[in-house]
Amino acid sequence: MKWIDLYLEEVRHHLPSQNREDIVREIRSTLLDMVEDHNPNPGQPPSEELVKDVLKDFGSPRKIAREYGSHQYLIGPRMYPVYIQVLKIVLIIVLAMNVLGLLITVVNPPNLAGGILITVLELVGGLFTSMFTAFGIVTLSFALIEKSAPESWHAEFQQSWSPEDLPKTTQQEHVKVPGLAVEITLAFVFIALLNFFFDRIGIYYLGETGWVSAPILNDQFRRYIPWLTAAAVTDIGLNLYLIRQGIWDRLATAGRVLINLFKIGILSAIILGPAVITISPVAWQALDLTLDFGPDELSRTLNTLLNVLLGLTMFGLVVDTIKRIASIFFRGDKAQTTIIN
Amino acid sequence: MIVDTVQEQTQNLVQELRRGVIVIAVLSQLHEEQYGYSLMKKLEEQGLQVDQGTLYPLLRRLEEQTLLKSDWRVETTRPRRYYALSDFGEKVLKEVTVEWSRIKQTVDQLLSKTKENKNEMD
Repeated sequence: MKWIDLYLEEVRHHLPSQNREDIVREIRSTLLDMVEDHNPNPGQPPSEELVKDVLKDFGSPRKIAREYGSHQYLIGPRMYPVYIQVLKIVLIIVLAMNVLGLLITVVNPPNLAGGILITVLELVGGLFTSMFTAFGIVTLSFALIEKSAPESWHAEFQQSWSPEDLPKTTQQEHVKVPGLAVEITLAFVFIALLNFFFDRIGIYYLGETGWVSAPILNDQFRRYIPWLTAAAVTDIGLNLYLIRQGIWDRLATAGRVLINLFKIGILSAIILGPAVITISPVAWQALDLTLDFGPDELSRTLNTLLNVLLGLTMFGLVVDTIKRIASIFFRGDKAQTTIIN
Repeated sequence: MIVDTVQEQTQNLVQELRRGVIVIAVLSQLHEEQYGYSLMKKLEEQGLQVDQGTLYPLLRRLEEQTLLKSDWRVETTRPRRYYALSDFGEKVLKEVTVEWSRIKQTVDQLLSKTKENKNEMD
């Protein structure tokens, strides 16, 4: 019965670990029953052809294993649509950043031995590498979410649903899960960058010996790291809550308003406080730039630019806060009407 | 071409119908204990062919749902797993049988009315 052993080994390989041996034992018993039943010479050992016919009739090992529920998804049906949307957004961002880098290099070509063509070719190669890396990271993240998701997620997806789960009013604003997933990812990157790669935040320039970086944020900035981290953590918390709820309820709206006010406070402190960007003489030398002005002037310009950027962000936060506060009152009335109707 | 499509579609629908009734068919045959292959033969003899790949996982699922109980027994030549309705399964089958009769009656009525209407229109 060599063929049966080989067959069962293959089935075992594809079966879920739970009850694996018991299932294999039962299939063996069935196969032996089938062989015995089809044997034209009862009592005699079956021919190899007969055994193979029985196995063929039984079905491919993968198919049999699948019937026993070995659906081993990397990313399951619940997460798949979100995964595809997040992947699209991330790949577009990576593509845009690479194209930007390419344009900067073409406009301001570095003085390299290989010339501009080699540099551009290297950057195009880098584009594919970064696209594949982004693809890998997003896929891995979703695979981890899939693996760590509680069983209830899948159960909920497959069965229990009640009209009670529907939003209580058509006026409620639905959340956009892909956007929130991207925000959560970026918040994690932001936290990691601030807390673990602080020194890597700087100016990157393609010099004669390759990429050169110089840290630009000074110790004044370090004071804000715990506050910025706290803001990012609360952002993640709120976004997870929103994904779970599916709508902007009053608690989420109030949370967003409070977080926005917190962020406005931090940004105001950075803008009004001492300068946070300093180009050190060492960094200036390392950059090896041929410019008409010195590191102090560059620092001042960068600080001004940063303040403008932070000011614009603050403006956006203020607008969002007003919008959210208005929505509490505006939607509150509409919601009542909808429920009564 | 049209015949092929009709045949294919009919086959698909019949397959779906079979899939729907297979659980009740299996449960109905397990008042007395059976091992997988004997159950498959029994169903086949009565005109319901069930794929092995469907039957065995189904038996496991029904057991997980505590509708069936099972145990391994060594008989003449090899060990076999025997399945039978549990007390819970007996009760559920009784209820499902009543519901099945209702569904059958309703569908029969619907089909006969459709036939009558068609004859009138002709």
